[in-house]
Amino acid sequence: MTRYGMTIDVDRCTGCGACMVACAVENNIPPAHEGATDRTGLTWIRVFKVGQAFVPMLCQQCGEETPCVSVCPQKAVEVDPATGIVGQMPERCLGCRYCMAACPYHARYFNWHDPAWPPGMEKTLNPDVAPRMRGVVEKCNFCHGRWHAAKQQAVAEGRDPAHVEYTPACVEACPTKAIRFGDLATLPKPPGSVRLLESLGTEPKIYYRSSKVDLRAGKEPSRG
Amino acid sequence: MKLRGTILFLAGALAALGAGWLGFPRVIYRTQAQPVDFSHKIHAEKAGSKCDDCHAFRADGSFAGVPTLDKCSSCHAAAMGDTAAEKRFIEQYVTPQREPAWLVYARQPENVYFSHATHVKRANLKCERCHGDQGSAAAPRILVENRISGYSLDLLSMDACIACHREQHKENSCLDCHK
Amino acid sequence: MKNTRRDIFKFAGGAAAGALLTPVPWRLIKDSSLWSENWPGIPRPARGEIRSKTTNCALCPAGCPLRARCVGDQPVALTGAGCAFGVAAHHLPYHPARLRQGPVEQAKAALAKRTPSEPIAVLDLNPGRTASWTFRRAMAALDGTYISPDPNPIAYDLHSVRTVLSVGAPLLEGWGTPANVLAAREKFYLVHAGAVETPTAMLADEWIRAEGLPDPLPRRLLENGPSLAVGDAPGVAELNRKLGAPVYARPEAPVPDAWKKQAAPVTALDAVPARGLRFLLIDESSAVTYIPWHLIEPKLASDAVVITFAVSRGGYARHATYALPAPVFPEITEDIPAAIDQTTQVFRLAAPLVPPPPAVVNASELVAALADIPAAAALRERADFIHMQSPAHPTPDAFWQALVDGYIWRGSPSLPAQSSPTQPRPAHDLPLTAVPAPWTPALLSPLMTKLYEESNLRLPPNAVALNPRDAAALPSRAVLQTLHGKCTVRVVPDASVPPGIVLAGSSPGIRDICTHGDGAKVVLA
Repeated sequence: MTRYGMTIDVDRCTGCGACMVACAVENNIPPAHEGATDRTGLTWIRVFKVGQAFVPMLCQQCGEETPCVSVCPQKAVEVDPATGIVGQMPERCLGCRYCMAACPYHARYFNWHDPAWPPGMEKTLNPDVAPRMRGVVEKCNFCHGRWHAAKQQAVAEGRDPAHVEYTPACVEACPTKAIRFGDLATLPKPPGSVRLLESLGTEPKIYYRSSKVDLRAGKEPSRG
Repeated sequence: MKLRGTILFLAGALAALGAGWLGFPRVIYRTQAQPVDFSHKIHAEKAGSKCDDCHAFRADGSFAGVPTLDKCSSCHAAAMGDTAAEKRFIEQYVTPQREPAWLVYARQPENVYFSHATHVKRANLKCERCHGDQGSAAAPRILVENRISGYSLDLLSMDACIACHREQHKENSCLDCHK
Repeated sequence: MKNTRRDIFKFAGGAAAGALLTPVPWRLIKDSSLWSENWPGIPRPARGEIRSKTTNCALCPAGCPLRARCVGDQPVALTGAGCAFGVAAHHLPYHPARLRQGPVEQAKAALAKRTPSEPIAVLDLNPGRTASWTFRRAMAALDGTYISPDPNPIAYDLHSVRTVLSVGAPLLEGWGTPANVLAAREKFYLVHAGAVETPTAMLADEWIRAEGLPDPLPRRLLENGPSLAVGDAPGVAELNRKLGAPVYARPEAPVPDAWKKQAAPVTALDAVPARGLRFLLIDESSAVTYIPWHLIEPKLASDAVVITFAVSRGGYARHATYALPAPVFPEITEDIPAAIDQTTQVFRLAAPLVPPPPAVVNASELVAALADIPAAAALRERADFIHMQSPAHPTPDAFWQALVDGYIWRGSPSLPAQSSPTQPRPAHDLPLTAVPAPWTPALLSPLMTKLYEESNLRLPPNAVALNPRDAAALPSRAVLQTLHGKCTVRVVPDASVPPGIVLAGSSPGIRDICTHGDGAKVVLA
């Protein structure tokens, strides 16, 4: 099976936010609720301005000792042994939010409200992703709906569904091609790439490269 | 006196058992009939149709499920036989171009992803394996639906999926089948 | 023998014990948990065949080629857009702030009462479209004025230069055609001049932290030619003339000769006499710019009737006599004018993906009806004319169909421009200098809250960002005050804004009172 990974070239990111919006469109994430803030919002991928660079943050898909998996009392989080994708099961989640506390990347989000769309806008929901209910945690799963569709297309064409290529919504939306996605084994990683908080030993699958900010050091976002 | 208490206790238990086993299933399920008196049997025998003549795959591998009225009216623009059911179908649906509100026995809930292509084309499962022998049914079955959960009685449960996947060593992760 | 209370309890106890041996309790637990998994009230996405349609985005002149993923006929995702706004443009028809109803009949009645001597004008906030030509033809017939925010639009050729000076321009933030800018960016050295740490400043090769034209000019600009200066600060046009920069007249696709013969001239708003307009029609349905109301208001007669074709209540609808609901992208077929970085003629259409609500009115058709000129088929007429001049397709019908499916017709390159000098900015004695955030369309997808409410990526439309030193004494809500008025705003402290600068959001309320370089102060509410 293909194990998927991602590279993000921070030097190319212009902070336009197209990835954040495309992600919300793809994954049926509702617009902000009344009074939502950066602490209570739902943004599976979020671009932070750090120093003089924009750093997109999403679930880093930790492969070993995955912090969110080990704390979940419900077995609602699991690492797919075949693809390496960390999956979150909203149907099983009981909303304790241990995983949010455990995640070293703050890449998990909690549904404080039932999802609500302006009247008529629910027609634009993506049929490949189920909307989540209030009281569950959700996060990036490398656009699982697109992975399903790619596998199905492969079967229809008589190819092997275990080795399919597909493009997550954020990668497709990025106008500067700062985000790239593919088979972790063959995906070219730009020289000088680092994984965030690599020293924790969780084997994340997202490689960042930046010549402007030291991504190994902790930095505070500049606005807010 | 002691005996009378035991009898009362047993009578209560018996009443609950009767209500629970006989009455409750009638209350919790509601039934609905298909809008059209459709016979798979006639279509299979007289017209020689196969499952995938009407229940077709699309080019992207997705499954179209119940065919739309276009498919029906391509043959039934005018009556082909002399049954009352066909005449009614043409009068009520084909002529006014109204889509029949077919009931689906196996509609999975929103959070389930199921690929017919993977099961039919890759694993070579027969339709009957999950849907039962619909092809030889002379009359459409009644849809039996749970009043609380809204799930059809014919809906394959996750346990049934898992049992087969376990046999085939195809159990991977939750998100293989959930979306 | 009498029944006692004890007997009832015995019976009930038996019933309870018996019930445990029936499916009732277990079934109820299971079914209610299944019910909770499909929580009522959560919308269900529609199922159906996935189809794909191609079109062009009409939110701005970039006109990015889009592919719409549709369930049946309903678009559910757009790909190909070069910015965050275009990615979710298919949400616009359902925006809660969308204007859906309006006094259409009253507005028509007011226009019908106009006598030929009463001055009428159309203010077109997206000039260069076929609809703009319809306005010009109608104004010629009615003896009216056609007002454009920029009568002599120019175009820059980014591909032929080695150094670019951006004077406060949002060059890498969706300016021009993003795909074209990013392709050209690989080849030129970028110097950005501006006080605020914008994405363009952060990603430029060199950043001069001051507003306005830098003095002295960066050496690279003079030595590493050909060079180009971009921005609408005073002096940029003169600098480009001195540099011999590749500045062209904004190209326009061919226009039928008959239209040209009977079209009103393009007039600047400045050239309209004060208090000279009795009727003003504003087409802001696909606005690509915003003119502060304090510049429009002096041109109106005291009893003027202002009719705006708006997509939301936010823009000129706040000032208009009648605000009429207009179609939004992607509801109608419309052509997209050339962008500021396009130096060859283009003709492309935004084809509708969803039908408009019944009450909306098309500005060009209403104005054309006033002058009794046929306008409904104007786009087709122009397409046929272009086809006649350079037949790229076998028949006019084939050409039209290709355009509807997203084909982009490209014509000849444009000629060097005669640019008009920009106005110097008035001096002020207020403590802060305003720097507005880059322009955004009037209506944005509700999902844009991801960028400014659920994260800090963008400045919210109704907010101003101040250096923490300037914001120290201010609560989170304050009043932004300029010479032109005041507006209640949210105050966001931002260390990347230098002291003395106020970075202003793009809400119409703020845009009405402050333009680049205006003096401003932020005071307690």
